[in-house]
Amino acid sequence: MISQLFILSSKGDRLVYRNFRGDGGDDVTDAFYRAVTSLPGDRAPVFMAREGRHFVHVRHGGLYVGVTTTADTSPFVLVEFLNRLVTLLREHCGTLSEKSVSVNVALVHELLGEMVDFGYIQTTATEVLRSATHGEPETTKAFSLLDLRSVGLFGAETQQSKVAPGSITNRPVLPPRGEQPARSELFVDVVERLTVVIAANGTPLKVDVQGEIRLKSFVPGGCELRMGLTEELSVGTEEQRGYGRLPLAAVAFHSSVDLEEFEQERVLRVTPGPGEVTLMRYQLAEDVPVPLPFRLLPSVEWDPAGRLRIHLKLRCDLPPKQGDPTLCPPSPPSSHAINVVLQLPLPREASSLAQELSSPEQTAELQGGGRCLRWAIPRCQGGAQLGAVFRVQLPPTPPLGLGPAALTFELPALTVSGLRLRCLRLSAPPGAPPAPPQRWVRHLTHSDSYVVRL
Amino acid sequence: MTDSKYFTTTKKGEIFELKAELNSDKKEKKKEAVKKVIASMTVGKDVSALFPDVVNCMQTDNLELKKLVYLYLMNYAKSQPDMAIMAVNTFVKDCEDPNPLIRALAVRTMGCIRVDKITEYLCEPLRKCLKDEDPYVRKTAAVCVAKLHDINAQLVEDQGFLDTLKDLISDSNPMVVANAVAALSEIAESHPSSNLLDLNPQSINKLLTALNECTEWGQIFILDCLANYMPKDDREAQSICERVTPRLSHANSAVVLSAVKVLMKFMEMLSKDLDYYGTLLKKLAPPLVTLLSAEPELQYVALRNINLIVQKRPEILKHEMKVFFVKYNDPIYVKLEKLDIMIRLASQANIAQVLAELKEYATEVDVDFVRKAVRAIGRCAIKVEQSAERCVSTLLDLIQTKVNYVVQEAIVVIKDIFRKYPNKYESVIATLCENLDSLDEPEARAAMIWIVGEYAERIDNADELLESFLEGFHDESTQVQLQLLTAIVKLFLKKPTETQELVQQVLSLATQDSDNPDLRDRGYIYWRLLSTDPVAAKEVVLAEKPLISEETDLIEPTLLDELICYIGTLASVYHKPPSAFVEGSRGVVHKSLPPRTGSSESAESPEAAPSAGQAAEQPAVIPAQGDLLGDLLNLDLGPPVSGPPLAASSVQMGAVDLLGGGLDSLMGGSGFTAPGPAAPAAMGAPLGSGLGDLFDLTGGVGTLSGSYVAPKTVWLPAMKAKGLEISGTFSRQVGSISMDLVLTNKALQVMSDFAIQFNRNSFGLAPAAPLQVHAPLAPNQSVEISLPLNTVGSVMKMDPLNNLQVAVKNNIDVFYFSTLYPLHILFVEDGKMERQMFLATWKDIPNENEAQFQIKDCSLNADAVSSKLQGSNIFTIAKRNVEGQDMLYQSLKLTNGIWVLAELRIQPSNPSFTLSLKCRAPEVSQYVYQAYDAILKN
Repeated sequence: MISQLFILSSKGDRLVYRNFRGDGGDDVTDAFYRAVTSLPGDRAPVFMAREGRHFVHVRHGGLYVGVTTTADTSPFVLVEFLNRLVTLLREHCGTLSEKSVSVNVALVHELLGEMVDFGYIQTTATEVLRSATHGEPETTKAFSLLDLRSVGLFGAETQQSKVAPGSITNRPVLPPRGEQPARSELFVDVVERLTVVIAANGTPLKVDVQGEIRLKSFVPGGCELRMGLTEELSVGTEEQRGYGRLPLAAVAFHSSVDLEEFEQERVLRVTPGPGEVTLMRYQLAEDVPVPLPFRLLPSVEWDPAGRLRIHLKLRCDLPPKQGDPTLCPPSPPSSHAINVVLQLPLPREASSLAQELSSPEQTAELQGGGRCLRWAIPRCQGGAQLGAVFRVQLPPTPPLGLGPAALTFELPALTVSGLRLRCLRLSAPPGAPPAPPQRWVRHLTHSDSYVVRL
Repeated sequence: MTDSKYFTTTKKGEIFELKAELNSDKKEKKKEAVKKVIASMTVGKDVSALFPDVVNCMQTDNLELKKLVYLYLMNYAKSQPDMAIMAVNTFVKDCEDPNPLIRALAVRTMGCIRVDKITEYLCEPLRKCLKDEDPYVRKTAAVCVAKLHDINAQLVEDQGFLDTLKDLISDSNPMVVANAVAALSEIAESHPSSNLLDLNPQSINKLLTALNECTEWGQIFILDCLANYMPKDDREAQSICERVTPRLSHANSAVVLSAVKVLMKFMEMLSKDLDYYGTLLKKLAPPLVTLLSAEPELQYVALRNINLIVQKRPEILKHEMKVFFVKYNDPIYVKLEKLDIMIRLASQANIAQVLAELKEYATEVDVDFVRKAVRAIGRCAIKVEQSAERCVSTLLDLIQTKVNYVVQEAIVVIKDIFRKYPNKYESVIATLCENLDSLDEPEARAAMIWIVGEYAERIDNADELLESFLEGFHDESTQVQLQLLTAIVKLFLKKPTETQELVQQVLSLATQDSDNPDLRDRGYIYWRLLSTDPVAAKEVVLAEKPLISEETDLIEPTLLDELICYIGTLASVYHKPPSAFVEGSRGVVHKSLPPRTGSSESAESPEAAPSAGQAAEQPAVIPAQGDLLGDLLNLDLGPPVSGPPLAASSVQMGAVDLLGGGLDSLMGGSGFTAPGPAAPAAMGAPLGSGLGDLFDLTGGVGTLSGSYVAPKTVWLPAMKAKGLEISGTFSRQVGSISMDLVLTNKALQVMSDFAIQFNRNSFGLAPAAPLQVHAPLAPNQSVEISLPLNTVGSVMKMDPLNNLQVAVKNNIDVFYFSTLYPLHILFVEDGKMERQMFLATWKDIPNENEAQFQIKDCSLNADAVSSKLQGSNIFTIAKRNVEGQDMLYQSLKLTNGIWVLAELRIQPSNPSFTLSLKCRAPEVSQYVYQAYDAILKN
């Protein structure tokens, strides 16, 4: 049960506060802010017991969205609820920021009134809330530079993505009452996260691909969406799934997805209301070889005076040409990785760094007080091989091994599993506006944890 | 309307301005004004002065405006109760509105206004709304009952709302069902004894049907409610599991975890032979693994829960080791939790993989994580014997790196490895000694000193090493000082000739120059031991130490079982039962897992019972930390150390072992065995078993015969029952309760067709079999029958608590009588509490729950008392002698899981004993006392 709910600005100002159960004073937000700011560094635990209360919070857009609760409540319920709340606030206020929340405070209260009663969560479904609320959202202009974070995919927490018009997703999904929506649009993102551990000898120890298909719809409800997935898909344990090229170990669907045609045709049918949903989450079976995007070939020379010479060769194993015109939309002609960053922990605090990089747009620096080497490559074409030499001065004791190297990157327009959307059809309900909605399909892989041991 | 004009500071004129706007005729302006008021209220400004003006806006047909006004009312009604009354009429009117949204809004808001006068007016509208035709109104009304109950519980009972609420469980709308369940669960919590949520197979069936249809949040309410249900047999448990399993693939992780909780609990009832049990185990793994792909916050919660689950049922995730491998970008709290689970899953099959990972982690950047990784290597060595050698060599490699904190951690764990595998790896001591100078943390210093003292005879310059520590004796932490004192005494006992000076120096430092009482006391004890009887000193100080247990960091089994019931609540994140961190008025109901009803339970599968098996093989394995007895006898326990229990446990406990091990062997030799049911409890606490067995010895064979049985008394005189006389008593033998009856026919006709039934009673006593009288009972004939009872019947609190109403039928008529049963028939065989638990629980139970009684005219001595009581499942946990009085600390557990802790004070010269009882349900104390009294006097 939720006792109190609050949204605080990054400075601790109270933007929204509801006391659902009439217990406790109104000073909880101060207590919370004191507690959360007194924590060391980034290690804010999700759950804090302070001054006789249990706090649960999440941070989004610089805001603290939190609740206080009694002990017998499921923490999952609370975190899930808070995440939903954040999504809903985004849907209703466009973006989630101090400004958008404070301008829409009446609407937020109205939503909360429907979502939670006496601390019991009632609903978080956009459509239900739509029918029970009456407030109109006030939009705020996205402020230009500071808001770069929210540009790009709404789903993945990536720094940026230039594959689709991002900023248009930052508006309330619900058009003002009585008006035609400005543009009816539909976004489908297939986002995969890649977790890889490669042993020192180059063999992959662990390859884990998790993906999800997310849908954000600005289309008024009522039209049915048919979404065809790669046909080679197969689901289940090894015995069950047969010989598909794309075996998934586990799949979970949103409850609104109609799976009637999934077994035979690999088609998901869904009738989306306006709003954002995760239609499908999946996990690639672990025993399947996935072409790994990067390979790292290091060589390290060490002399007793503490000079370390590290020669790194980074090979991007993405196919240089990847064109398959039968796909809809056709995949881009070539593949590449962007925002590649390699981080290499050093055994001791390094005092100096000299580098030779293969192109001027790359950068290298020491971080964490000299404990970590950071090599950034803004863009890397499929099939390319990049080399770099680093000379590092360390204190003269034998090093306790180097690494492991961690890579972060994004692969736009590519899913490592090979799962793609074959087609996306909208069947309009009778009496729908003549203009078919604009459809955007985006594929993306980003590295969750890509570790190469040395 | 874009700018933050709601948020200008309160100037003097602002309230005035708002007032004017609120009273404007234009609707739009009014609405904007109320919005401004709400905005000010939200940021914490006092706008209560506008109360009348805002309330005036209440009568409107604009729903948005109405909601805002209601919001304002909820906030300020409490501070202005008189003004709030002004709103009552509108509320009551709104409850009749044709628009269901308005009806629901009105009843919802009224429930939130905690003003008595408003509450009075709420009853009628609420009654109507509970039966409203619109489900939206009904679901709101259901929650409103809980609100009202929170304000005025008596009113809710008097008005009969609870019955209406119960009816809503069968509502056609699943959302109404879910809210009714949530409301009832909450209300039931404050009435633990009431039968509000009287779940039976029919209502469970309804809930399971609603489960498939309601919203995700509603599913959680229903699942959490199901988790409190106790299925009557394994078949019912299985059918519930089958219907809950589909929830495991839900996208909402909260639903998944609530489903896991239900399954984990009901699995307890399923026989492990069943195919279904295996299927279910397999189904549990994927959703748990999937939880780990959530956000770090959720991952953390998931890991804390998984940590409990793998301790209870390691087989679920034994093949999923890889998912717990640490990702470099995991937050530190996730990393540490994953490490912990990796160790728990480590086995001979995967140890190579785990060690390779751990070695990688030990070279990472984050200091805390590296430390924990090094410790983990040590734990692997202790847990998987085959890996010990590789672990030790890995640790040595790490020591070679000379990274300060790595070296220190490695030394701490190597000390533990020495304690687990004595005389195996001592060759590494030389390497350790090389790093003496770099140790600056107390724990590492203490560990190193322990090693030097323990192996003084193999270290040539042990005296020099210890002497070097002695120089800064007063600057050391207590932990190091204590360790140093003991180590030097050990050294002296091993090499008395060279070290006399050293030992005198440390003894005088400890006894004369120190302010620390622990240190001083230990110093004096050693001093006297050495000066009076060096041989005894040697026996005490150099006694063979018990091996440390690999499972020192496991959660204690009873606590674990309780925590399993709290999967998915905050308790599972803290790993503490709610009673340990919930403050407040609400009584905490202890939850327990259901007993297994299937067959083959006595033979637990091997992987599920590693700790018990381990303990049985090695009777000298000690539990982790000091306990009651330890406090009394152990000279060497340092002050509480904040580090992990492994380190604290490794201070030697020779004295304790003297008692425990010695008696164990004594017991083994004499061929005595503990009474069957008590054995598992004793195994769990091997140290305790020594003491327990001591009592068995003195108690003699009497203890084997089961608990005390009172003589039969006449329950139903013949006069009242048309010639049928019933006399009887209750007994408990090896875990089963029976009612021993004598039926006598004093009539002139033959009696037949006997049957018996119990009314609902406090502990759910019910006949486990029908009353069987084989032949018709001829006149003047008697028959003796032993009727087995169980405690799974329905429960209703009786007054007195142990009252049992019985109906007996025969071919003539039905007869009723009531009798009081002695409470000790409900004392279960596993009522022996771990010492630590006992201490913690004793402290934990508030003093107002303590009850004191006098047991008069009892001439038994302490040992006889405790053996007598043990026969009736009252277990003595410790005994101490304080100023000539014997104090016995005892525990017992009732069939419904209530623990009762007792302190029995016996003065040798005084035949009156003082009995203090502490229990979370203090109403049982009086009856427990009666049981004590009866047992001791017979």
